[in-house]
Amino acid sequence: MLEIIRIHNELLGTYGDRGNADVLKFRAGLRKIRARVTDISYLDPLPASGDIYLLGGAEDAAQLLSLTALRKGSILKKSADRGAVVVAICAGFQIIGNKYVTRDEEIKGLGLLDVVTTPGDKRLVGDIAIRSDLFALPLTGFENHSSVTTLGADAQPFGRVIEGNGNGLAGLDGAINKNVFGTYLHGPVLARNPEFADLLLERAVGSAIASVDDELALRYATWRRSLLK
Amino acid sequence: MLSPRLRFAIAVAKSASAASKWIGNKGETLPGRILLAIEPEAISLLAAGKEVILISGTNGKTSTTRAVASIVSQLGEVATSGSGSNLAWGAANALMSPAPFAVLEIDELHLPAIIAQTDPSVVLLLNLTRDQLHRMHEVKRVADRWHVECTEATNTIFVADIDDPFINYATVNAINVVRVSFGGRSHPDGAVCPRCGSYLTWLRGNYSCTCGLTNKISDAKFKKGSAAYRNAILANLVGEVVDAPPIAFTETQLERTVVKDFAGKTAHFRLTKNPASWTEALSAELHPEVILVLNARQVDGIDTSWLWDVSFAALRGHSVIVCGERALDMAYRIHVEGVEPVLANSFEEAISLCKRSDISVLSAYTAFFELVM
Repeated sequence: MLEIIRIHNELLGTYGDRGNADVLKFRAGLRKIRARVTDISYLDPLPASGDIYLLGGAEDAAQLLSLTALRKGSILKKSADRGAVVVAICAGFQIIGNKYVTRDEEIKGLGLLDVVTTPGDKRLVGDIAIRSDLFALPLTGFENHSSVTTLGADAQPFGRVIEGNGNGLAGLDGAINKNVFGTYLHGPVLARNPEFADLLLERAVGSAIASVDDELALRYATWRRSLLK
Repeated sequence: MLSPRLRFAIAVAKSASAASKWIGNKGETLPGRILLAIEPEAISLLAAGKEVILISGTNGKTSTTRAVASIVSQLGEVATSGSGSNLAWGAANALMSPAPFAVLEIDELHLPAIIAQTDPSVVLLLNLTRDQLHRMHEVKRVADRWHVECTEATNTIFVADIDDPFINYATVNAINVVRVSFGGRSHPDGAVCPRCGSYLTWLRGNYSCTCGLTNKISDAKFKKGSAAYRNAILANLVGEVVDAPPIAFTETQLERTVVKDFAGKTAHFRLTKNPASWTEALSAELHPEVILVLNARQVDGIDTSWLWDVSFAALRGHSVIVCGERALDMAYRIHVEGVEPVLANSFEEAISLCKRSDISVLSAYTAFFELVM
């Protein structure tokens, strides 16, 4: 049983990112891989047994609450260290970095990715597309944040921005380190980009997975790419 | 006595309105824009002689404004906004009327400025949930702005539905507030206290916070009910504040629903524009055949990520047809929830694919106006 942990959706659910878990379960199901989505609220302990952990976008106060809860026991960091897949979007990406800075304070992150986020001087809102070495085709999504994320020596960028802003620096979006992925792409990103969902399933299962024919998923992803400027 | 510049501005705006209507527009935006361009203070100057009532919130603004306008019109002539014309120029346009009362629907982001300019006697605050995030950015950001203006508007009586924690926070420091509760309901974005940032404690739709923010203490308490039912009560509470007799509304009068015939079939339209309004619409009775229309223009919200925050499980067992400029976003969304839609290239094609005489249509904002207005 593939265990997909959706972390604090009531806090990190501002932007439809809960759909990432639904798409993973759906695409696992197309391959007869048994999968279950477990919702963990702010009040619940984080299970250490997850195969895939998902974090989404949030408003400021919710982001801080989520981070505070996740610090207990460093379970997410330990899970990532044993090879579990972690996908963190927007505020979630900032939480799993080394630190993020607000207008008022500097907040230590969970340290899964070697990145630092600082306040930017403008709101970055709109369609975004990136090209990643992991995929043959660009990934599309929607961004809405006002931060600048800087990569340290131990983080690789997730992709190069071909439309939009991403990290707000150096034409890059997100960061990756082994099975840990951070990005600014909402959409939800796995609904818009099924090849990304499949890569995550493959990493979680630990072996190649069968290709599937979901005509609607393909048509949707292709159409959203065709809207790129 | 109107200043010469204001009188000139009104004259130009009115002739522009006539010309605009003549070429087929509703004529509600252009005159207001002209008025404000010639006399930037027009809104406060025109509001000065009137009793002004403002209505704002994410959902239910237009229908509730209509209800309040009909209640207040028992006292005298009422100037009111055109359907959905809720930005500054819409207010300016409505205020050109000589009517002694003005009942205006105001966009959430424009509300603080319009309160400051019109010094309203009553402001009705319905709800604040996620909508058009490309423009609003965050719900909390809108609530913060309201909070500042509500605190400063000491002449105004606020009628506030405090079952919504953002509305409660917005008016928590206001001087005159009628705090209304319907016994609580859940809130799609209400996990965190908007006042202090703590995790709110929710129990059976009621919330409380260590900082004291709660809906359990109110000035007027009613039983639970649909959004239409709540808005009818809130509209009559506004009427009570200005001494207008109450009007009994049916729920359908306060719903954004329109029944219209297309090619011999009856389409039951409902406006659905954000997670809260979709959830409300999907909890109502639907016909066996349902058409979903999705667009993503500016007023619809240019991003569709929020579709994943709505449960479409209620559509299982229905025959579902999807159309609109973002039909594929909707189709894939419900596909993953186990609802297999038929894709249509246009609304006309969608209607023609239906086999029964009555069809439910859940429609995005821009499509709703194009199809039913």
